[in-house]
Amino acid sequence: MKKTRWIVITMLVVLSLVLVACGGTEETTEPAVEPTVAETTEEQAEEVAETGEEPVAEEAPAEDAAPLTLRVLIHQNPPMVEFMEAFNDKFEAAYPNVTVDMSIVETGDLATVTQTRLSANDVDVIDIFGFSNAAQPYMKDVTPPNWQTLIEAGLLLDITDQTFVANYDEATIRDAGSYNDKVYSINLGRVSYSGVFVNKDLFAANGVEIPTTWDELVAACQTFTDAGLSCMTVGGADGWPVFVGSYGLLGAMYPDQEAMVEGLWTGTLKWDDPETLKLWERYQTYTTQMLEAGVTGLSHDAGPARFAAGDVAMMPSGVWQAPALEAAEPEFDWSYIPFPGSDNPEDNQYLFGKYDQGWAVAANSPNQAAALDYLAMFSEPDNYQEFVNAVGFIPTQPTATLETKLGAEVAPYLENYRVGFEQFWVAPKGAGQWANGSQGASWFQPFNEWDDAAALAAQSQADLQAGLDASQ
Amino acid sequence: MQQKYLFGRGWSVFVPILLLLPGFILYLMIALGPSIATSVYSFTDATGIRGAPVNWVGLENYEEFLLRGVASRDNIDALKRTLIFCFFVTTIQFTVGLFVALLLNQRIRGRMFFRTLFFVPVILGVAIQGLIWKLFLLPSGGPVAQFLSLFGVQSEFLGGQPSEAFAWVIVVQIWANMGITMVIFLAGLQTIPNELYEAGRIDGAGRWDLFRHVTWPMLTPSVNTNIVLNIIGSLQAWQLFLVLIGYRPGTQVLGYLVFAQGFGQTSGAVTSAFRQGFAAAASIVLFFLVLIIGLAAQYFVNRREQKLYV
Repeated sequence: MKKTRWIVITMLVVLSLVLVACGGTEETTEPAVEPTVAETTEEQAEEVAETGEEPVAEEAPAEDAAPLTLRVLIHQNPPMVEFMEAFNDKFEAAYPNVTVDMSIVETGDLATVTQTRLSANDVDVIDIFGFSNAAQPYMKDVTPPNWQTLIEAGLLLDITDQTFVANYDEATIRDAGSYNDKVYSINLGRVSYSGVFVNKDLFAANGVEIPTTWDELVAACQTFTDAGLSCMTVGGADGWPVFVGSYGLLGAMYPDQEAMVEGLWTGTLKWDDPETLKLWERYQTYTTQMLEAGVTGLSHDAGPARFAAGDVAMMPSGVWQAPALEAAEPEFDWSYIPFPGSDNPEDNQYLFGKYDQGWAVAANSPNQAAALDYLAMFSEPDNYQEFVNAVGFIPTQPTATLETKLGAEVAPYLENYRVGFEQFWVAPKGAGQWANGSQGASWFQPFNEWDDAAALAAQSQADLQAGLDASQ
Repeated sequence: MQQKYLFGRGWSVFVPILLLLPGFILYLMIALGPSIATSVYSFTDATGIRGAPVNWVGLENYEEFLLRGVASRDNIDALKRTLIFCFFVTTIQFTVGLFVALLLNQRIRGRMFFRTLFFVPVILGVAIQGLIWKLFLLPSGGPVAQFLSLFGVQSEFLGGQPSEAFAWVIVVQIWANMGITMVIFLAGLQTIPNELYEAGRIDGAGRWDLFRHVTWPMLTPSVNTNIVLNIIGSLQAWQLFLVLIGYRPGTQVLGYLVFAQGFGQTSGAVTSAFRQGFAAAASIVLFFLVLIIGLAAQYFVNRREQKLYV
């Protein structure tokens, strides 16, 4: 009997422990310990003496400020990670009571991890891509994008009144970080994904001029192929680099990409129009004749090393691969040009892209003050300039310039920079898997089953039309 | 005759209930509760984002999944693909697992080594399994590509035609899980009394007769367990599709579709919406598929077992 009683008591204790362990801890609702101005560093004093202006956000906390851990979430991008690690050290030195705990996730997992950690109040500063794919008035019955839901759920902090917001250009704040006239994110840079990296030595060695029209591009590829070289490479194993590589082709043929999306939704443009059919035929030429054999096994990250090896003439890809390309082979002489996808050289002067990484603060963060200090310090012109140089983004602060080789390459086209199709596109519910024709290049053999451009164009339009009809 | 009470009498009879309670609470929290919540979510437009409004949409998610536009065609195709995947994985994994178990149940040199070797893939994570096969199947310079090139055969493997990529995922799924099937069969083989084989041999039975009349009937519990586990496991599989080929037209199975819709992975865009209400509806469809096929399989294997032992 005694033994049984002991068993019962033990079980009750275990059960209590299980229940206690499963219960949530009470949320910390107290405001964060706000770093206070303690002292001005010598460097700041010199700066004040020289400029007569107070530094923007170099405030350091009081010596006795309570220690806290600032949880930062970013996506995987090697040059950015390297920069952020150095910046975190700098921030910790300026704010000795703060320890930065930075998590890095794969790009594809960023949205999931962000949502999970925001919901769990487990993050203070998040890396969020430029606000895009918003529902337009002509779109019916579409699901709002994730960023909009996060804001409407009250999970992102309104940073409209923060002084560092003014460091960024108005267009960026309006287009990439605002919703309903309030600012929720500062976007750190634009990227172009529609250009082509060119191996200048290989072009010179084979007597080929940099192509400015589609026909010249086809002829150039033929010359390289005849010489036993490869014309183009992309990271085909990851799927998306194949169609991202053709975004320049899409853009060259339809330079107003926002109007293109509207046209497809309203029926003034169809994927199988005679003019659009030319696009599909060029997609097919790109995948079947321009890309080198074996790219289905090449990962996106391995692309720069493959291109820098020297026997591939071109690599259609985003500017974010420039730092990796330079790291792979510093002596390699390359250029970055718009994809010459149109017959008209004037239409081949545009670079298309998107707003890339931005910062936002968790509205429920117990460390809001420190999070805002983090953004303020990051936004200081010197720090931002270093960031741009490291990562290769096209700057969103008017005072910053892209002082790298890539910066010099894209400078002539910056006036013609435009936001690309995929930033506007939202598929109607009920549309089929072939409805987003901007990805069409990756549906041709060897990446998928299609080998007839006209048939695929018709299928794409049919899949889109079914969704449009269903949403009426 | 006085009944014996394992835990005593009086209030002590509640001891078994108390002992079961922690497990039941755990089951409620991590299995039953989420399952019930999923079925409720399937009638809403939930995003899974805390604080976001959740609206009751009735059967709209089911209508969209099964009937709306041509997206329903793609969903039904994914459902068919799930069944094809299940059929091939179950039959091949079962057959190969049985064959390997029979081989490794013999007194052969190094059998412990080979048992370990065949079981090792099971303990690797899906990401590692995927990475190994991605390297193995590199179209340019990979070992399989080089071997096939000896016969003049070229292939794009995982990055090429959807049907071919799909077939390779079946191969990897079998490779990754065959070890479990083998171990269950090995355990069953080791419970068969040697006397039965000796008696069979005395009666003049050959190897095939011994397998057919002794091994196979005596393996019935293992056979049944493996059939049910393989069917359910393959119907729910999706992680290898994610790791090996990603979300590509013509390759998705239902489990992957649920994940992709629920976590905004359908378009490759990082800003895709989380449609967890819709994903919940898709997962309920998957649940019924598993339930119907699982129950049918269970019914047939139970009947077979009863026939053998009655």
